[in-house]
Amino acid sequence: MAVEIPKSLADLPTSTPRFIGKAVNRVEDPQLLTGRAEFIDNVTLSGMLHCAILRSPHAHARIKSIDVREAEKLPGVVAVVTGEDATRWSQRITTVPEKWGTYCLAADKVRYVGEPVAAVAASSRYVAEDALELINVDYEALPAVVNATTAAAPDSPLIFEEHGSNVMLQRVFTWGDVDAAFAAADQVFTEKFRWNRLGANPLETFGVISQWDTTDGNLTCHGSFQSQYHMGLGTAAALGLPSNKVRMISQPHGGSFGGKGGMRGTVITALLSRKADGRPVKWIEDRMEYLAGGAGQSWDRHYEASLACKKDGTVLGFRVKLLDDLGATAEGFGAVSAAKPLTAFTGCYAIPVAQYDLTIVATNKLPGSPYRGMGPPPHNFVLEQMMDIAARGLGMDPAQIRRKNYIPPEAFPYTIASGNEYDSGNYEAALDTVLKMANYQQLRAEQAQARQQGRLLGIGLVNTIEPGVFDWNAYAIVGMQQTGVPEGATVGIDILGKIVAKIGFSLEGQGQYTVITQVLADYFGVELEDVRVVYQDSLSAPPHFGPGGSRLGVAITGAVLGAAERVKEKLVTVAARLLQSDPQNVELRDGKVGIKGVPQASMPIAQVAGAMLARSDLLPPGMDPNPEATYVWTAPGRTPADEQGRAKSYLTAANACHLVLVEVDAETGQVQILKYYIADDCGTRLNPANVEGMTQGGVAQGVGAALLEEYVYNEDGQLLTSTFMDYLLPTINEVPMTEKVALCTPSPFTPLGAKGVGEGAMHTTPAAIMCAINDALVPLGVRALEVPASPHRLWKLLQGKAKS
Amino acid sequence: MKPPSFEYAAPKTVDEAVSLLKQHEGEAKILAGGQSLMPLLNMRLARPGLLVDVARVDGLDGIREVDGCLAIGAMTRQRSVEHSELVKRHFPLVHAAILHIAHPQNRNQGTVGGSLAHADPAAELPAIALALDAELRAVGPGGERRIKAADFFVTYLTTALEPTEVLTEVRFPALPPRTGWSLIELARRHGDFALTGVVARLAADTGGRCSAAQIVLFGVGATPVRARRTEELLVGEKCSAPLFERAGKTASEEIEEPLSDVHASAEYRRDLARVLTRRALAEAASRAAG
Amino acid sequence: MPTSRRIRLTVNGKPHEVVVEPRTTLVDLLRGELALTGTHVGCEHGVCGACTILWNGKAVRSCIMLAVQADGADLMTVEGLAHDGQLHPIQQAFMEEHGLQCGFCTPGFLMSVYELLQRNPNPTDEEIKETLGGHICRCTGYQSIMKSVRLAAQKLKASSPPGPATGVS
Repeated sequence: MAVEIPKSLADLPTSTPRFIGKAVNRVEDPQLLTGRAEFIDNVTLSGMLHCAILRSPHAHARIKSIDVREAEKLPGVVAVVTGEDATRWSQRITTVPEKWGTYCLAADKVRYVGEPVAAVAASSRYVAEDALELINVDYEALPAVVNATTAAAPDSPLIFEEHGSNVMLQRVFTWGDVDAAFAAADQVFTEKFRWNRLGANPLETFGVISQWDTTDGNLTCHGSFQSQYHMGLGTAAALGLPSNKVRMISQPHGGSFGGKGGMRGTVITALLSRKADGRPVKWIEDRMEYLAGGAGQSWDRHYEASLACKKDGTVLGFRVKLLDDLGATAEGFGAVSAAKPLTAFTGCYAIPVAQYDLTIVATNKLPGSPYRGMGPPPHNFVLEQMMDIAARGLGMDPAQIRRKNYIPPEAFPYTIASGNEYDSGNYEAALDTVLKMANYQQLRAEQAQARQQGRLLGIGLVNTIEPGVFDWNAYAIVGMQQTGVPEGATVGIDILGKIVAKIGFSLEGQGQYTVITQVLADYFGVELEDVRVVYQDSLSAPPHFGPGGSRLGVAITGAVLGAAERVKEKLVTVAARLLQSDPQNVELRDGKVGIKGVPQASMPIAQVAGAMLARSDLLPPGMDPNPEATYVWTAPGRTPADEQGRAKSYLTAANACHLVLVEVDAETGQVQILKYYIADDCGTRLNPANVEGMTQGGVAQGVGAALLEEYVYNEDGQLLTSTFMDYLLPTINEVPMTEKVALCTPSPFTPLGAKGVGEGAMHTTPAAIMCAINDALVPLGVRALEVPASPHRLWKLLQGKAKS
Repeated sequence: MKPPSFEYAAPKTVDEAVSLLKQHEGEAKILAGGQSLMPLLNMRLARPGLLVDVARVDGLDGIREVDGCLAIGAMTRQRSVEHSELVKRHFPLVHAAILHIAHPQNRNQGTVGGSLAHADPAAELPAIALALDAELRAVGPGGERRIKAADFFVTYLTTALEPTEVLTEVRFPALPPRTGWSLIELARRHGDFALTGVVARLAADTGGRCSAAQIVLFGVGATPVRARRTEELLVGEKCSAPLFERAGKTASEEIEEPLSDVHASAEYRRDLARVLTRRALAEAASRAAG
Repeated sequence: MPTSRRIRLTVNGKPHEVVVEPRTTLVDLLRGELALTGTHVGCEHGVCGACTILWNGKAVRSCIMLAVQADGADLMTVEGLAHDGQLHPIQQAFMEEHGLQCGFCTPGFLMSVYELLQRNPNPTDEEIKETLGGHICRCTGYQSIMKSVRLAAQKLKASSPPGPATGVS
């Protein structure tokens, strides 16, 4: 039966929603605050062993031999696996682009420092690590390829000999007549940028317990999985198992931000469990393993960009050339980050044509993974810097040039040059809000005064699109074939009127269990405590993906409302029978099912559900007696990508405008963030506290990206930033407390008008801070073009010693 | 990241500790607060055969004033120094140094002696020990030894302590009257090790003429270093911004081989030394005057 | 084989006697044999603060402490905060101000905040930041955590909660 998902709060069967839209306390919190939440390392299974992984000390080397006999003899060691076991019992791990990958344990050669070479299962992690020291590997070192430009050259040593080149992908995407636009321009501005490796670093690293059933050939894995479904498919493929023989159980996990990973660890522990007669094997990735060998490295990029402008500031075209260093394999799915910029290539601006010259290259570094924002954070840094460069070149204020180019509010839904469709937006409103909050003219006056004193004060004013509700077709250009990301929920009312919602993802931090609770409590007119969200594993839950790509709030709301609508249909049918009326005259309203307009002729949902489950004699013949229904939501109107990668992909386009005031110490290069203002618009906010929390979290990661976080490899491919002493995460002392105003331009396409959020400010903050720094440096005539803008880098610029 | 196997002993007296160190010479390592040693153990970069935990040794902690000096027992937790009224009021440079050490959670466990014995080039306590001409006391099989700070820090992570010696106490002399001080460092984040730091002491006469100066640069070389030529440049001169500017330049030239790492090149450290020396001298001068 | 040691310690008011290898870290003892898994491991080199517990009333990083160092010590972990199913006012404050998202770093923060407010019931924002600076949160961006601590201070002043599981020095 066709289901109408409520498009706004007014469409809900409730006169006054009590919970949706409010910052209610989260239902997840009590178990998290008391430490009771079962993160993977809290799980102990009977007979469980502990895994440690031996990793390559070389960036590039052939494995001549490996001797594990001493390790096997160590008391407490139960099983050891090497590349030989991996090639015998598993397949190469799936990659995007295809065929740029290897086994979970290196077989013939190692391709990055930290690549797994062998693994041990023992009575404790302590003993397992002792055993690693007894494994002898004979390596023959090969030249390490660490520079992306030389890696792409035809004479470079090869990461994968069978490909004959290190270039994983090289294509130019042209959307519209770009040459004509550049020829017609009054001025063309061109600049190069460098964005260095950084990554997710959730507080909890990856963890997994794999258990191989030696009789039935079933594999069960508990783990810190962002998407249990995705992980299950990948694991089944890697082990050559039928998909229904793999059960993934996702534990509450300590964040992910796209960078949880764990495919190799899952397969390795499965192999160990198989070798250990089916005993469960647990691997908890330690922090050094995460930094060197996990899913924590992203966006190693070399950019060249051009903006074609008329002298009144109108932007006619935008060209981006990107050399993306993906590391040794494409197993991390980091390549999707090179594709996602298509979803908002031209940002908030009505730039009619654009070009994307994309090269993805392999080097002897850790395979790149997705990270919050998935590619737009560096892309937006480039676009917004170009807007500022153009503004300065044309003698315009940065607010002025942006205002000139915005897509106007009446133009939505608006299809951008690279093919995606923005659902709705009002960019000028966000700009005006921020300018007012910040007292912009006053700040400019302060800046002028400071300049006279030789102080480097800078204002960054940027706006971005924060695409939400991802779809696979956004990544078609790197080889993803699918369209649609289904997310299902089962909603039921029990005989006492309590509601249970069953879904296929565990806690990750975004508060979706609370959102589900709010939505169902309002829908069915009950209290929050009357709703319980129950997690189901990958084989039990309806089709699902879980969190990612700023989708889950919207998707699960759709799923839950769809299921609720189906339940309502059944309640209405039964109530109509009980009230001796026609279903068309019966409605659910404020927790009661009854005849429209006749308040006395109604019954609480508990009574109807009770009748369905316990009074079959009263039901219409053939009626399904189950007050429960499942609904699988998928974004409407998605299109497959064309040969230029154009598709309606991400469903929603939230937008934000950030203004940040910084001071650069003219002698030391240190940056202080003095003020930070945000106006953001993500349509209806299902729980404002969730949104604000994720916005501020995105700001913190953005500060880390702009100023602190960087993975550094030396010319031998050795990782120099291998601990938290050198990979610097922002603390409270580095993150500004921001002033935020929420605007609301609802989405016409989504349940309740909410837009996807979650990645949020990460799209915007790095650009904002870098633009502010460059604004500060204007009197010196130098540009900060490399991220992060560490004190050392800025000092070099200030000394005039930098090459651009 | 689990430590390798080792034996553990928790002696109750200094003599017991010393004899354990002697018995297991070459294999034994002292565990004080563990804030530096434990990460190394977890990473298996340190592999002692025996850990000698001196936390239970009698009489190794305490903060007292003795003959005008601040005497701190080696096992005194950094937080005790931070909260000591005696230190805050009478030894403000020591207090300022402690506040820069990592975070309160580290300072709850970390010890004054441990930081000095570990001798990280970018640590604050070794720098102020040098700046204040502190005296370090150690006990070994041969009895007690008193070592001047100037002789204590030998090179990167290496002090003059013998493997069989236990650091027992450090004595910081008080600053003479009319002496201003300053401790300025540049770190990537609050609480991180300094990329470059400067401790400056400056005494001025009533005419604003510098009568004594001591400048220690830290984070720039294998140990904290006295910038002696810079000190000579200052003594006898009238305190002024141009003087401090020249002093900064001279200080930066005194560093032989600045450290270079992912956070800062040698040239950057050299230039930071120039800037921070100038700023530290200005601050010290204003404290001397005020 | 290194000599195992018998140690005695009190955790959340309960006495324990265990035999440990010298190299067993304190956080591993707590999470393993003592089954107190509320304290988490985030880095194992003393930076992130997820492992923070109270040791004789002071917040310490238990990933860089050995279990044997805790012989005779009085420890408190996050499990010692709530009482009879009632959240401690600090926990309540964090919930009301949304001071957590994934919750992995939270137990560590709670213990540092507990120490701070015991010692200093009226902390300034600077003093709060000094305490919180020893912790990393990757989710919240710290703003809601600041608000949580301010609210917690207010709540603690307004009420005298039942004594927690252990004394504080």
